Amino acid sequence: MDSLFMSFVPGDSIIHRLDPRTKILGLMLASICIFYASSFEWIALIALVFVILILVCKLPLKHFVHSARPMILFFVILFLMQLLFTEGKPIFSSKWITISYEGLVLGTILTLRFIFLLLFAALLTTTTSPSKITAGIEKFLRPLPLKYMGISSHDLAMMMSMSIYFVPMMYDNFRNLKDAQLSRGLNIKKDPVKAIIALSVPLVSISVRAAEDVALAIESRCYKSTGRTSVHMMGLKKNDYICLFLYILLILFCIAY
Amino acid sequence: MIFINNLSYRYPNGTLALDSVDLHIRKGEFIAIAGKNGCGKSTLLRHINGLLVPCEGYVVVKGMDTSDTSHIQDIRRVAGMVFQDPESQFIGMTVEEDVAFGPENLGLPPEEIQNRVDSSLNIMGMMGQKNHTPRTLSGGQKQKVALASVLAMEPEVILFDEVTSMLDSMSRNDILLHVKQLHENKTTVVYVTHHLEELVYADRLVVMDKGRVIHDGNPRIILRQGNPLNLGIELPPVIELSRRLCDSGLITPAFFPLSVEELREVLCQLM
Repeated sequence: MDSLFMSFVPGDSIIHRLDPRTKILGLMLASICIFYASSFEWIALIALVFVILILVCKLPLKHFVHSARPMILFFVILFLMQLLFTEGKPIFSSKWITISYEGLVLGTILTLRFIFLLLFAALLTTTTSPSKITAGIEKFLRPLPLKYMGISSHDLAMMMSMSIYFVPMMYDNFRNLKDAQLSRGLNIKKDPVKAIIALSVPLVSISVRAAEDVALAIESRCYKSTGRTSVHMMGLKKNDYICLFLYILLILFCIAY
Repeated sequence: MIFINNLSYRYPNGTLALDSVDLHIRKGEFIAIAGKNGCGKSTLLRHINGLLVPCEGYVVVKGMDTSDTSHIQDIRRVAGMVFQDPESQFIGMTVEEDVAFGPENLGLPPEEIQNRVDSSLNIMGMMGQKNHTPRTLSGGQKQKVALASVLAMEPEVILFDEVTSMLDSMSRNDILLHVKQLHENKTTVVYVTHHLEELVYADRLVVMDKGRVIHDGNPRIILRQGNPLNLGIELPPVIELSRRLCDSGLITPAFFPLSVEELREVLCQLM
């Protein structure tokens, strides 16, 4: 369970104890930096920051590697697209394909960008419980004039939180479903199209039913979009102010370079 | 406490789930509802919790009509519901957060929420699992967390929808003992079950069939005297044996045993 995709792992590290708003802001800044990273030096710097954060949060690296594993196919496609369709100085050429040096560099950097984006997101969801993320997002959204659009900041935050909650749940369901179908003779390698249908159709059906059940449970426990409180008393502490100061330094550094 | 008058409900696909149901549940009562699959037990509970609105008739919970949406939050606060599958009702990623969800919706201050969470987890003996992820718990523990989540809202009535159907016999007995304790602490209990041995603590049994109430009374009298074919429910071996022992005059019908433990006690007294 601890190695599940994007799931929260309770702990008592400095990162665990940070205010969720500080961590959400950090993820936003990290995302901007990752998308601006256009060289291997930048990527190496981002990797270094990530490793330091992993050490501080005292969780095994394996957990985060597992978080990226379900996306491997996407990363491979992304890399191949860049590798095969970017024009430049050829380093390998055959009758069918030509691989350029620029394609290799661009493909590697782009793939690494997405991997680190996912890893930083996993860092947030692993060290922050969904209800704290909800409370943090809700505080961020509160100043927006959402009520004029007929929605509340609580509703939006709840939707986001439930989306995060459903990822490990769907992953669990997928694993159970895969085992059940394999035990009934499904051969994924021999008939991949049939396998996709045999797995995706019941998975969608189970997920819709699970969503309906959760919706009933939420309603039954008096959910309302206004006037909710939180068990978590939020407030910025010393470590949050240190982080915010570091964020400002990072922004200034990015502007300067 | 709860008045159900001429309640009928038809699902959007046309299935008639409840057909002219009349029921009055008194404060502090332990009422069990039994019947075959699809007889309307869960639909009835969902009406009491305000999750469904009657097509005909009305449901009044502590003076509030469930059809009146302005009362719906108060109705759900008075009548909490524990569902059959605990996993489908978890909202929090930790046990503590899940139990806190209800009180958070009531808009209570953080200290009060924390007190309620700790108190309900203590009652259910789940304080040690406070920081665990609900999905990693055993079936019985999951159901205890689900019950703690409802207790944290301090309801006057608790609706149990086949809460033990996915549990082994030990966990089932454990949950049942907690239900009994809640009833002893003046909570009104409405308990839907398939396991008739669980009726040992019930004051009253309602048997449903095809959306109608076909029996309503003392569970020991209904199960002792009722014709099994007319009961609409399959009798477990222990109740069958109790009936035969009563019929043969070996035990007196004054105390009709409903569970293995009760039957053992009666037989021990005989020997």
